[in-house]
Formats: sequence, C-alpha cells, structure tokens
Amino acid sequence: MGTNNKRLKKELMEMQSDPPENCSAGLVGDDIYHWQASIFGPEGTPYAGGIFFLDMKFPTDYPFKAPTIRFTTKIYHPNINSNGSICVDILRSQWSPAITVNKVLLSLSSLMADPNPRDPLVPEIAKLYEHDLAKYNKNAKEWTEKFAR
Amino acid sequence: MATPTGAEGGTTPPGGADSADTDAGTFYECNICLDTARDPVVSMCGHLFCWPCLHQWLETRPQKQMCPVCKAGIGKDKVIPVYGRGSNNQQDPREKLPPRPAGQRSEPENQGGGFPGFGFGDGGFHMSFGIGAFPFGIFASTFNFNDGRPGPAPPGSPQNREEQFLSKVFLWVAILFIFYLLIA
Repeated sequence: MGTNNKRLKKELMEMQSDPPENCSAGLVGDDIYHWQASIFGPEGTPYAGGIFFLDMKFPTDYPFKAPTIRFTTKIYHPNINSNGSICVDILRSQWSPAITVNKVLLSLSSLMADPNPRDPLVPEIAKLYEHDLAKYNKNAKEWTEKFAR
Repeated sequence: MATPTGAEGGTTPPGGADSADTDAGTFYECNICLDTARDPVVSMCGHLFCWPCLHQWLETRPQKQMCPVCKAGIGKDKVIPVYGRGSNNQQDPREKLPPRPAGQRSEPENQGGGFPGFGFGDGGFHMSFGIGAFPFGIFASTFNFNDGRPGPAPPGSPQNREEQFLSKVFLWVAILFIFYLLIA
C-alpha cells in the first residue's frame, strides 16, 4: 500500500511538473487513488479542438493491476463506447507495471488519432470508419463540437 | 596556500557529483515503483527492478511471466542480483519474504591461451584408456574359457570344442578390432 501510494505521488508530481503534450492529470479530491485527466483532441483528427475528460481509478495494488479509466466526455470512436469505457489492450491483458499514467494518456491520445477497427467496442462506428471514412469523420466532428467544447 | 586549493578541489567534485547523483537517481530507478531500486535485480533484457517489486509482479501472473518493460521472458532464475559496494551492509531486506535469487557464478572458461598442452594431454589420457580397456576385457574372458573353470564342459566334448571355437572367433574379432583402431 505504502509503495503504491508513493508511486502514485511520484507520478502525480511528474504529471504536474512535466506533463506530456496535449494531456494533463490531477486528483479529483484528496484521494490519491482517484484522478481526473484530460486529453486535447489531436490535431488532424475529427477530435481536434475538443477537450476530453477522463476518470481514472487506481486499484490499491496499483501498479500490479491496471487503473480503471473511462471517458467522461462523450466521444464518437470505434474503441470507446457510450459509457466511456475504453477497449485498449494495455489497460487489460497487456497491462504492465512499467506503464505510467503518462504513457496511458499518450496511448489514448494515439488511439484517438489512430482507431483500431479490428478490435471494436462499437461495431457500427468501426464499420463506418473502415468503409465510409468521410461519414465517420463528420459524425466524430459533430460529437466533438457538441460534447467536447 | 596549497591546502586551500586542495580543499577547493575537494569541494568542487561534490557539486558535480550532486548533479550526477540526480541523473543516477532516475537511471537506477526500479521500473515498477519508480524509486531507487532496493535489493536490485536486472533481467536478461537489461531492465532494473527492486526484487520485491518484480517478485510481486511475477506472483500476479505466474503463468505468463514477462518483463514489465519489454515483455521479454523473465523469471526468478532469469534475473541477476546487483550488488553494489555497500550491499553487504543491508542485512535484513534480503531476508524478507521474497528472497532475492542468488547470483550464478560460472567458472572462467579455459580459452586456448591457458594450458593448451595440459588440456590436450588430459583428453589423450581418457582416449587411450578407453581403447585399452575394451580388448583387455575380451582377453580376460578368453583366458577364462581356456583355463577351464569348474563349470564348463569337459575337454573333448562337442560343447567344449564349440566354446573353444567361439573364444577363437572372439579373439580374432578383438584382434581385427584393434587392427581397425590402429588403422583408423
């Protein structure tokens, strides 16, 4: 417990002193196991211009178990469903204790820029992404305008 | 005059060492707790961990043990403990629950330069012993037949002749074998 706490404090300090590009993170209250993060929609994607908020909950045996992360901002994306749940391997089977919040946010940012339609959470959006990119872009842009501004 | 400069020379390195220390601080951080590695072990793929941290990770997924950093295969017998100079002073931490795996000490290899003659002679000795012993065994058994132990058939009987014939055959086989070895 103590060491996890120490690691989370260390990560928090790092996130605040040297945050990755387009991301930020901080505590929600004074609970070190409950964070809020934000990702700026990557340029050149239909998410550009939007700010997407995320809720991050860390298990007490973090970093041996992955944090639970969900988007609190609605987003039109093949790998993120309407609850904000994210389907990405590094938060599930491919989790490793060497992965930090910093790296998770960077991966999510690159997931936004480069969706993975082969492992979709929302099949309709994935289908659109694969077969009608223009329509996907339009929908995603609309959602960004509507929910992430 | 000389002493102050000497003292100054003594004070400057700590300043330099300090910045080096902060560098070393991140360089020698455990990849799991992100703190300076204690009871450090290094994986075959070169990644540094506290042994307690790595042990806990390996316990978390015993059936699929991977390096947290590069996902290479990893395990208790695939990490090397790192002993700094002061490491003998830490008595208790290593005795704690997950004992750090012991270092493996392999003997230095005898490369050609060492004692080539000795090494070769050693091999030669084994070789000649192997060749010599085998025919000797056959001779011994041959002589046993000829001396006529109490058990074997009486001289002159067909069985005795057969045995003598057999022993001669074996003798020739042995001689041919030695001959073959000498040629080969």
